[in-house]
Amino acid sequence: MSDRRKHLEFLRKTAKDAIWAGDYERALTLYDDGLGLARGWKDRDLEDLFTCNRATTLLEMDRQDFDLSRLKEILLRNPTNFNGALAAHTCARAHELRGEPARARFYAQTALQKSRDLGFDDILASSYNVLGNLELRESRFEEARDLFEEALGHLQSRGDETSCLAAQYADNLGYCHIALDHVETGLPLVRRAVDLFEHHGARQALDYPCLDICFASVKTKQLEEAEVWGVQALALGKEFARNDVVKNSHYLLAETYSEMGKEPEADEHYEALADFYPNFPALKNYLRQISLMDVINLRA
Amino acid sequence: MSSSQSPRKVHLVGSRIRELRKGRRLTQTELSEMIGVAQSDLSRMEQGEYKVGLDTLFKILQVFDLKMAEFFGETESPTTPEARSLVADFQTLSEEAQREVRDFVRFKKLQEQPEDSMPEGPEDEKA
Repeated sequence: MSDRRKHLEFLRKTAKDAIWAGDYERALTLYDDGLGLARGWKDRDLEDLFTCNRATTLLEMDRQDFDLSRLKEILLRNPTNFNGALAAHTCARAHELRGEPARARFYAQTALQKSRDLGFDDILASSYNVLGNLELRESRFEEARDLFEEALGHLQSRGDETSCLAAQYADNLGYCHIALDHVETGLPLVRRAVDLFEHHGARQALDYPCLDICFASVKTKQLEEAEVWGVQALALGKEFARNDVVKNSHYLLAETYSEMGKEPEADEHYEALADFYPNFPALKNYLRQISLMDVINLRA
Repeated sequence: MSSSQSPRKVHLVGSRIRELRKGRRLTQTELSEMIGVAQSDLSRMEQGEYKVGLDTLFKILQVFDLKMAEFFGETESPTTPEARSLVADFQTLSEEAQREVRDFVRFKKLQEQPEDSMPEGPEDEKA
């Protein structure tokens, strides 16, 4: 590996660590620097790599201010190398975020096929994960479960059982089991994800595992447990400005307190949730009397 | 900190969504367009297979614009959570137990009536 490439690999690794730690701005700066260097060196390969990585970072930030057609061009120019598979994977994530599941599925399948044919295990596992997420959004929990098992299996077959990616796939798999009412199978997977994320200092990734444990605990009437994890999920959702996590946390905490008979506390969370829906003034009254636990999907 | 008894909630389930939709004379296609899901997904939802996020669930509640009495399947809704809980408990009792509860309520009502409005009884019982 040339010195240039080594330097940019170091930038990539540092940026990836920054993403897991929730420091997206730092990651973006590092990828911008790498992109500038690659362009200066007129290294098309590295430029493509950093273009994909930069787009992935923006997607993590819920931003789409990048040129999607550029990613598709990279895919077309690189039918048999790593950048092509990575570009397909990044396109899948972009379409997923845009709420275009059919396109997302197409590009995820493309990434899966390429990474399988060319032996890129990281992208292969991650493509299974994207496909699993797409199934999960459509409540196909059994199909999603099988895909997350594949994702996790591919990491494990390479001896990776403790990375942040392994934690992420374990959490997704755990949630599927919980949604399928197999809490006893799902909960240990999610708890393992929490331990791994904490071990790696990946605070930003803890929000959904906390929410998932809260959800499982409400389902099984472990209300003190639900309260602890719900409060933690809410704090993380606020810290990292994730409205979906904040709303789900308020809902689950309200249900928890309602089940506990702590109506004033439940009301606080119903009110906080209702504040997100100013055009629905009756919402709080409905929520006081109707449970949505049987029809809710935290990942939809 | 309150420690009052938790009010019993009605669980929204797929079959209830179907009943409410039919009550509104909406087709699956119409409702699915109103709440922004595919018709096939709404069909799965009514069968209890499809679950959705809070945003969609709230759209469903908003579309139905439920009166609580309607949701609870009653002609008139009890006004407080305690009253609803009581009604729900009553409905789980056997016919015999329900008759005893009715008799007890009748007795308590009589007890709480002012004395001059009590029905006349034999002189020796009054004494």
